[in-house]
Amino acid sequence: MLWPERMRRLLIAAPKSEIKTIIKELYRHKVYHIEDFVPESESGGLSIGHPLPEASSAAETLIKVRAIENACGIDPARFEARMKIPASRVREMIRTDLSAIQKEVEDLVNSRSKLETLKKEHEQRARELEPFTAIPLDLEFYRGYRGFTVFAGHISHDVKIDVPHEKYFSDKVTGNMIVVVVQNEHQEEVERILLNAGFQALAIPEENGAPTDRLQAHLDEIRRIDDEIAAINQKLAEIREKHAELLVACDELLTADVERAEAPLRFATTEETFISEGWVPDDRADEIREALERVTNGRIYIEELEIEDDSRVPVEYDNPSFATPTQLLVDLYARPRYSELDPTLLVTIVFPIFFGLILGDVGYGAILLAMSLGLRKFLKGEGMRSLLKVLSYASVSSIVFGVLYSEFLGYSLPWEALIFSRHLNIGGHATAHGPQVVELLLLAIWIGILHVTLGRVLGMANARRLYHGKHATKAVIANAGWIGVMWGILLMIWSLFPIPLMPNLTGLPVLFMGLNTSAVVGAILILMGVIGIAQENVLEIVELPTIISHVLSYARLVAVGLSSVAIAMMVNYLAIGMIIEPQLEAITPIGVIAIIFGVLLFVLGHLLNTALGILGGGLHSLRLHYVEFFTKFYKGGGIKYKPFGKRSKFTEE
Amino acid sequence: MVDFGTAEVTLEMVQASQLGMKAFSAALAVGLTGLASAIAEMTIGSAAVGATAENRDVFGLVLLLTVIPETIVIFGLVVALLLMF
Repeated sequence: MLWPERMRRLLIAAPKSEIKTIIKELYRHKVYHIEDFVPESESGGLSIGHPLPEASSAAETLIKVRAIENACGIDPARFEARMKIPASRVREMIRTDLSAIQKEVEDLVNSRSKLETLKKEHEQRARELEPFTAIPLDLEFYRGYRGFTVFAGHISHDVKIDVPHEKYFSDKVTGNMIVVVVQNEHQEEVERILLNAGFQALAIPEENGAPTDRLQAHLDEIRRIDDEIAAINQKLAEIREKHAELLVACDELLTADVERAEAPLRFATTEETFISEGWVPDDRADEIREALERVTNGRIYIEELEIEDDSRVPVEYDNPSFATPTQLLVDLYARPRYSELDPTLLVTIVFPIFFGLILGDVGYGAILLAMSLGLRKFLKGEGMRSLLKVLSYASVSSIVFGVLYSEFLGYSLPWEALIFSRHLNIGGHATAHGPQVVELLLLAIWIGILHVTLGRVLGMANARRLYHGKHATKAVIANAGWIGVMWGILLMIWSLFPIPLMPNLTGLPVLFMGLNTSAVVGAILILMGVIGIAQENVLEIVELPTIISHVLSYARLVAVGLSSVAIAMMVNYLAIGMIIEPQLEAITPIGVIAIIFGVLLFVLGHLLNTALGILGGGLHSLRLHYVEFFTKFYKGGGIKYKPFGKRSKFTEE
Repeated sequence: MVDFGTAEVTLEMVQASQLGMKAFSAALAVGLTGLASAIAEMTIGSAAVGATAENRDVFGLVLLLTVIPETIVIFGLVVALLLMF
């Protein structure tokens, strides 16, 4: 439970003739984590294996299937199958139907892209024609003259031309439009006049007839093409509807085929045999051994090897089912090493408590609980599911602490706070004594002291597993030293100042130099602690101030929580105390609008505070674990356990 | 001559001014540490967005790194709370 799953290291050797059977059997069991063979210069005639012959054809077909899926917009990761399809039927379908479907889809996609090109052309023509629709001239009148020059284009304003000419001007189109026809001998003069008015020539469309009619013709054509594209998309959608289940099944089956066919690339081979090393969970090792011997009729050699180096062992969590969602949070930091303590269970218990301490409010807790349960239907990913599970634990804890703090969306529940009150004096709803900030802060400090001490104790346990011989002893003593220094400082503080909620040791008999018994014990603890830390690594002494800063950091449990309470109470005071309540005394038409505004403010304010609550409560609790807790004992950096084989979603053997 | 009436008013004024100074100090404690956190988070935040653009997997980690300087403002808030209550 507190340690990762125990693993066994297996060496499998067999003749090459059995390679296919063995791969198939290993794939079926999904427990064997293959350790990739890395050839070295002195690997004694061993070389990397070759993929099985069917690898290339399976990969080719897979590419085809993926292309079809892509064209039809099928995403196997999001696809929900109604039932599993037998693998034999899928293979049959790959042989018979696949190429027909592929051809159909390919044709449709091709004609669609042709239509799209055509559509772009028409759109371009239509764009070119548009300015000419402002001029009442057919397009053939713009060209074909020997003695005349035609100017057509945009211009900033109408111009006056002194030479004989024919002119059309329109300001109905953007950028205005001007067409001028002059005799060739006046061309330069007219051009200069036009350019002075910001003339920009336009190419004359290579078409005949009235521009308006031509434009309409192009627009009609575009509409027709759009319809055709829509029809093709409709056909693709039909194909998706009809074949999606088979296609995702093909995808899955072929992916498995390719994975199996390429497995020899991870094995070491000689002329006649192959060798593979891998890892199997302790409780499944015998089962897979027997299964392999059975399918090969004993033509296989399996040996269990010693685990020499724990950094090479793949790590799989071994937690009770309620703690598995939290593994996500631990993975986010780092997967534990094989011989290391797995903190998942502790995080599962402590994280919601911290969250509740920060966001202890029945209202917000209920909103988050409803949200985490409701979103489960929409968010399908494995990671998202885990996150929502963690959030639901946290929100339950938030409700529990809300009852203890007596809080509901910033209001107090009909009873006094069962633990320390967090109600601030906002908006005249002051309780008798106001918030018990000092007590709450000291509570948070106590939590910090205990959490950090727990971290160091775990550090001692971890050091004995991670290191060997002298190094292990040193590390254990250093961890004890850290605990000694921390409690030494505490004893000295207690001997000097009486602090509520903490032992008052100021009254103990004075031994010497004004120091009493507890101060002396504290000083000795600090001294021995520092020696203990220094004997492992002198440089660690620099880190001593972190003892204080890490413990004080737990004050955030109260500080972040209080700011959330303050926001909630402010929203209530603004929306209800200042806007809604005064209006309710004498309802006027403007008052109704004010009330609606007040309700809106209330909802928006609490929504914002809920979002801040998730961020504040979640991230700060997580940070306390990662920065203050994990750094005391946790190393991490283990390899993920990835068994060979995949769970099939769409097919069955 | 000493005017006792004035002395009484002055005492109230002193108390009010002490209260004001406390509130002012609390505001300084939160405000200045808030600024400090913001400056620190600015650098980390922009680096975090860059890293996420390169590799989406690091999102969780960089989100966490971004909130680490928040400790500064939380210490400020704690000091302010102790001042006020």
